[in-house]
Amino acid sequence: MNILIVEDEKSLILEVYQFLTNEGFTVENVYTKKAAAEKILVNNYDFILLDLGLPDGDGFELLKILKDLKGREDAVIILTARGDVNDRIKGLEEGADDYLPKPFSLNELLARIHAITRRKHKLESNDIDIKGFRINIQKRTVLYGDQRINLTKKEFDIFNYLVLNKKRVISRTNLTEHVWGDILEVNSDSNFVDVHVKNLRKKLSQFAPIDWFETVRSIGYRINI
Amino acid sequence: MKLQFKLALYNALTKFAIILFTGGLIIISLARISNHHIELRLRQKKAELLAHLSSKDIDNILHQQKAFSDFNIFQEEYIIITPINSLYDNATEVTFTTEARPVEKRMQSFRILKSGFNYENHGYLLEIGETIDAVDELKSTIKGFTLLMLFIALSLTLLIDLIFTQYLLKPFYQIIDRKLVKVNDPMNFDYEKISTTTQDFKLLDDSISSLMVKISNLFTLEKQFIANVSHELLTPISIISSRLENILQQEGLTEDNENKIFASLKTIDRLKAIIKSLLLISQIENNQFNKKDQVNISEIIKEINQEIADRLEIKKLKFYNNTNAAYTMPGNRSLMYTLLYNIINNSVKYNRVGGGIILSDTQTPHTYTLEINDTGIGMDAIEIEKAFNRFEKLNTSEKESYGLGLAIVKSIAAFHEVGIQINSTKNTGTTFILTFKKNPHLH
Repeated sequence: MNILIVEDEKSLILEVYQFLTNEGFTVENVYTKKAAAEKILVNNYDFILLDLGLPDGDGFELLKILKDLKGREDAVIILTARGDVNDRIKGLEEGADDYLPKPFSLNELLARIHAITRRKHKLESNDIDIKGFRINIQKRTVLYGDQRINLTKKEFDIFNYLVLNKKRVISRTNLTEHVWGDILEVNSDSNFVDVHVKNLRKKLSQFAPIDWFETVRSIGYRINI
Repeated sequence: MKLQFKLALYNALTKFAIILFTGGLIIISLARISNHHIELRLRQKKAELLAHLSSKDIDNILHQQKAFSDFNIFQEEYIIITPINSLYDNATEVTFTTEARPVEKRMQSFRILKSGFNYENHGYLLEIGETIDAVDELKSTIKGFTLLMLFIALSLTLLIDLIFTQYLLKPFYQIIDRKLVKVNDPMNFDYEKISTTTQDFKLLDDSISSLMVKISNLFTLEKQFIANVSHELLTPISIISSRLENILQQEGLTEDNENKIFASLKTIDRLKAIIKSLLLISQIENNQFNKKDQVNISEIIKEINQEIADRLEIKKLKFYNNTNAAYTMPGNRSLMYTLLYNIINNSVKYNRVGGGIILSDTQTPHTYTLEINDTGIGMDAIEIEKAFNRFEKLNTSEKESYGLGLAIVKSIAAFHEVGIQINSTKNTGTTFILTFKKNPHLH
């Protein structure tokens, strides 16, 4: 999949570029609105990561240019330091697929990219299999064989996020941010996550051993498959 | 007491005093003048009488050595001449008295001249009286009239004073009302001049306006500063945290290094949370949120209850929701959620293990009051006073408290015109009282 990053902060581009390349994406960078407009006209992208505050114009204008082109299915994720709710609403209303306020976690970005991909392609992979546990993202269910495991909303969200980012250590704060949202929850202390994870583990281990569900020292968790 | 009424009262009192004084003066001088006139007349009469003594009739009477008395037709005057046995040494001596004399079965006041005179080697006592009932009547009439005038003048001037001072002070009250009382935010200040011809009020109006310009400039500057700083910090933080995340993905990192990087990421998260909170406060204060939702308070409370269920469990807290009013207000739902969440979350955080949180509400026709009561560590008066300040933290073992939760609560409450009050006893518990005005102004 190819991704276009439109962002004027070069150091940030470098990091996102490195991360996404490691994940196996083809990534291109542009720093200005003008350059981005040219790229968009020439190529189709799976994803465009769009910063709103560009040196030569507003990211919304690029969004408009893109939406005026017929038959384009480029998914747009707006990345911006503008936390403004109105900006967020405006971006989504004008055709962006997601909105990620800076500073964001790269894992979060990846999770959103995965989510949009699934949504767009209506993938069969709505069913993810982890050692016999089948997670259905659409229906939000977890099955072991034919048996349904009753998870709370939070437990499911945590499991889902860890599975989407499997083989990667996910810190408690990262998990909190994703599951509890990052806009208004300020004083989140990470030990609630532990309680949920503990319950989740208890429920899962009733069906099969879950040694793949690791606690990584004092940092966080990892699903190691 | 309002200035207007004070002025009117002052005017009324001074007028009352002036009228009382002049009225008293008139009555006293009237009495003296009339007495003086009567005495003059009495002296004249005496002189006339003595001059006519030689006339035959009187002569006869006097010779009979009998007392002579005579009233005129209207019994306003009388003369009594009484012979005495000795002669007068000082015949010209005259005394005046006021005495009551019976006239046709009733007593009448008279001003009486008493004087002795000698006539043909006999001494006589002369008494000439003139009624002063007429004068007394006049006096009481004047008294009554004065009183009536006093009353009329007082009420009339009081009324006029009130109307006039009201007219005069109207711009003053407009200034107080529009420029001082109704201003809860310098941003919403009404710079339109109050029309007045009174120079002092103009000066007052101008001074308040120019002061307000200064304040709101400072205010805007502060808000801009916070917003800009926060904004500009977010991108570098984004870069650092992305870089650290990338390093973490590398193979061959020692455990020690990995831990350090995670610790750094945690610090960055803390920084991020602080900046976001500051940005949130500045956005609320800049009115960047709309109030278009119909916010159902009891629904939010239920949601928060679910949200914090795990935290309640950890601390073994009991959550009693005794609210029963279905109160809905216009506002911003996510902000109201944050407000209630922060307060209830504090009740959890600062509670003792096995304690409780009690929510209750009351309703009046104009207000809805929500009380959030906990059995926590409580605050003393100084802590309560500082509770809403930014970066004010209680002495707490909570590691992840930034001291911004209640600052956010305060700005959201102000944004929604919700009254907020803390009652607390150290080591016993804290009660947050939220007072919602029904039908608040919508901007």
